[in-house]
Amino acid sequence: MEQPLAARNHQCALTRRMSHLTLNRLSKRYGETVAVADVSLSVARGESVALLGPSGCGKTTTLRMIAGLIQPSAGAIEVLGVDVTQVPAHRRNMGYVFQSYALFPHMSVAANVGFGLDERGVGRSERDRRVAAALSQVRLEGLSARKPRELSGGQQQRVALARALVIEPDVLLLDESLSNLDARLRDAMRLEIRDLQRSLGITTLFVTHDQTEALTLCDRIAVMHAGRVEQIADPVTIYERPASRFVAEFVGRSVVLPVERSEAGLVLGGRPVRTAHPVPESRALELFLRPQRIALAGPETEAGAHNRLGGVVRSHVFVGDRLEVLVDTQAGRVTVETSGAGAVAQPGDAVSLIWSPSDTLVFARAAP
Amino acid sequence: MQSIPPLSSRLSRRRFLAASSALALSGPAFAQNASVSGQITLMAYAGIFQDNYIRTVVEPFQRAFPNVKVNYTAGGTSAQMLGTIRAQKADPQVDIVIFDVSTSGIGNAEGLFSRITPEEAPSLAELYPEARAVGGPFGPAVTYDHLVLVFDRQNLTPPLTKLADLWRPDLRGLLAISAPPNIQGLAMTAMVTKMAGGDHVRSIDPGISKLRELAPSIQTYDPNPDGYTLILNGIVRVATGWNARAQLYSDETNGRLGVVLPPEGSVFQINTINIPEGAKNRAAAVAFVNYALSRAAQKAFTERMFYAPTNAQADVAPAALARTAASAENRARMIPVDWAEIAKVRDQWNNRWRREIISAR
Amino acid sequence: MSGRQREQPLRGRLTGLALIAPALVLLGAIYLWPMLGLGRMAFNETGSTGAMAPALSLATFRSLFEDPFTLETTWNSVWLSFVATLLALVLAYPLALFLHRTQSRFRSLLTVLAVAPMLVSGVVRVFGWLALLGDRGLINAALMGSGLTAQPTRLVYNYFGVTLGLAESLMPYMILALLAGFGRLDRACEEAAATLGAPPWRVFLRVTLPLTVPAIVLGFLLCFVLAMSAYITPKLLGGGRVFLLATEIFDHAITNANWPAAAALALYTLVLVLLLVAAYAALTRRAEA
Repeated sequence: MEQPLAARNHQCALTRRMSHLTLNRLSKRYGETVAVADVSLSVARGESVALLGPSGCGKTTTLRMIAGLIQPSAGAIEVLGVDVTQVPAHRRNMGYVFQSYALFPHMSVAANVGFGLDERGVGRSERDRRVAAALSQVRLEGLSARKPRELSGGQQQRVALARALVIEPDVLLLDESLSNLDARLRDAMRLEIRDLQRSLGITTLFVTHDQTEALTLCDRIAVMHAGRVEQIADPVTIYERPASRFVAEFVGRSVVLPVERSEAGLVLGGRPVRTAHPVPESRALELFLRPQRIALAGPETEAGAHNRLGGVVRSHVFVGDRLEVLVDTQAGRVTVETSGAGAVAQPGDAVSLIWSPSDTLVFARAAP
Repeated sequence: MQSIPPLSSRLSRRRFLAASSALALSGPAFAQNASVSGQITLMAYAGIFQDNYIRTVVEPFQRAFPNVKVNYTAGGTSAQMLGTIRAQKADPQVDIVIFDVSTSGIGNAEGLFSRITPEEAPSLAELYPEARAVGGPFGPAVTYDHLVLVFDRQNLTPPLTKLADLWRPDLRGLLAISAPPNIQGLAMTAMVTKMAGGDHVRSIDPGISKLRELAPSIQTYDPNPDGYTLILNGIVRVATGWNARAQLYSDETNGRLGVVLPPEGSVFQINTINIPEGAKNRAAAVAFVNYALSRAAQKAFTERMFYAPTNAQADVAPAALARTAASAENRARMIPVDWAEIAKVRDQWNNRWRREIISAR
Repeated sequence: MSGRQREQPLRGRLTGLALIAPALVLLGAIYLWPMLGLGRMAFNETGSTGAMAPALSLATFRSLFEDPFTLETTWNSVWLSFVATLLALVLAYPLALFLHRTQSRFRSLLTVLAVAPMLVSGVVRVFGWLALLGDRGLINAALMGSGLTAQPTRLVYNYFGVTLGLAESLMPYMILALLAGFGRLDRACEEAAATLGAPPWRVFLRVTLPLTVPAIVLGFLLCFVLAMSAYITPKLLGGGRVFLLATEIFDHAITNANWPAAAALALYTLVLVLLLVAAYAALTRRAEA
């Protein structure tokens, strides 16, 4: 990751113990149930990685194993090349921000933030100085005497963050940390966390089910499904080139249309369709498109090297930042996203849908 | 006061049948009282007292008075029975109550009980003078009992023979002595005072200092459920007890429970029979009281349960009489105790036990 | 909060009143009315022979307060209740914490087992203690059998035995009260403390214990009041050596038939307990603030 030199020096001063985290075939079973299966992941120093997936996919279990709150059934966790799998939580030096924040309700904000320093035997004046610095980092100066219940949700979130950061952890772990905030606060906090993480250069793992959070916050995303990692890649790749049907469906909006295989190639709604990507062996196939990658054109528009599908506009849905146009085609109903600017086809108009073969993904059809 | 006995009565059936057939002979004497009818409620002690009183007194009475139905209700301790009578003052549900003289005296003073005259209950005229005197114009004494020492005949050698034996060093930690306010404790105070050469009416100092020496030997001052059971369970060797129950348990255990009437003297426990003021069926209640005090009933109950009779003319079998305080020899050992007077000093005695005996190590 | 109450419509308040009315009536019938009777009884007089006379007299209270034994008994009751409750707390806390945390599918069964002693008569449990602690009980048999002692050690029929028996009888109530209060104990807080570097015992001292203070406060209060009013255990395990307010009230009422004395002592005990509870509440509120 390229950063200005000044920022890098700053981060070196702040985080002397930056690390590198490796998960090696990490698994967790509860009786017959497999919660996490063979998760391997390598996180570079200063990198931020999201564990993205629906609830129950094993992402939080993975995070808790890293923190030492759960003992793995198999596999290993290494920090800076040292196997910490058997090290108890309190000796791992991980900063963990809980979904519920888990602030100590009986302690002031300052005492909450200073907790980890007390446990490390940091002297009083040193502790006070570092607590103050951490609180100013999260812009909570002046609230140090308050009790957690006297703070707003966003403020509590910042205290939890300061408490995890002040101990200068080897890895920062955030468990659905933004899910309890309202939408506007979430956007603001997301940027704030990102800036903080970047400026400190701290190795960070986010657990989230919110793709926006994952896409905006992280250098890389590990999409998890049923205890396994489906794909690990940077946000653009995850979005543009999902490795599996699950990833394609889970991340971003998709248009899914049934597609047939003929001797000449793929056939969509009676017309040939091309893809720039490999096609699975399976007989039953589905075509995935991003709605905003489909262009609306006049009925007789020539597509050239692009794919084309004719249809009739059924209705519009105005969603504020975009306009969704529903088009009935031979292959089924397709939602197209446009900016809404300029002339828009009206319901009843015949239109052509045009998109590039490189935006055309084909996956095996899901078992019914 | 009598606590609920844990042992069931298993007296031989034969003796019971003998006693009741003797009563049947005297039945016709009451036959003219067929005019008395209705239900009456008798409240008295539970357990073996209840079982035996029903067999020897209540059932024969019902045969003599076929139109009267007697409901026996167990009233708990004497003080609890007094409480019931107090609570029902406005609307008495009990027609007859048998309980300790110390509590009936309170009831008499509170006007809870009605007078009973020899005109309506001729048996009164046959009682020992002191048995009538104890209740004044109200209900007289119906049973006499006395404090005894009971001991484990199987596991105590040499056996206990006298009150002074309690101070034997081999009995250290093996005594169950009921302390005041239990009346056994009050009786013990008078007995030990006498043994130590004093007189409880003047001062209990000699008794208290003697009892203080006994403190290390006493395992419990409040045997539960009672001393007889603790002995039979092997928890203590010697306890204080009441003669009637002790004699019965002695028979039931084939003599394992030894009973000693201390030669140094003992104290009577007296139960009186009373009719609450305003009792619903006074005629039947008086008839019952008259029967309960009669020679036949007194003889039957004494021979059955070893409570000494209060009817001077009761012709009790000598073998049974010898096991009560009514025999001339035993009677001579009794220390005269006026329970009405004891009631006045009870709290004071109680406090001296607590401060000078129980707190001693 | 008060603002919302002020806004509450009259109808809502009436509905609330109607809902608690049956409870109030029941409480009035089974508690208030007998209490008034008790209050009245305490002002009656007792003659020298024990006869009770209706009166409006303070004589019973006077003799109660003049008797130095009252103070002694009060101290015995308060101290014994305190120690027994503390013991019950120390014994029940780990059990309750385990029951609160366990993921075992036998959790409900274990909870029922923990409070099962409540289903057994107090008398039966007391005889269990006698079998254990008596001069010929299991412990003395073991002590003497192993040659550690030559004479039986007096473990029962004294304050020690009563304290132990009382603590045991309080434990189910303590466990239930703690379990109810542990609802506020957030496992995530303990985990947070661990991730911040606190070893388990430090987590317990700095997080678990402070967070369960409300449960401890509640359980302690409940059990202390129960201990103050306990009668069967002290009576059966005390051997006539343990003098408490509850046993004194019983003796006055059931052995001596001295109702005014029993009533006066009962009222005295009630006021004492109320004062102690109020002081306790004030103390804990100040500590919380």
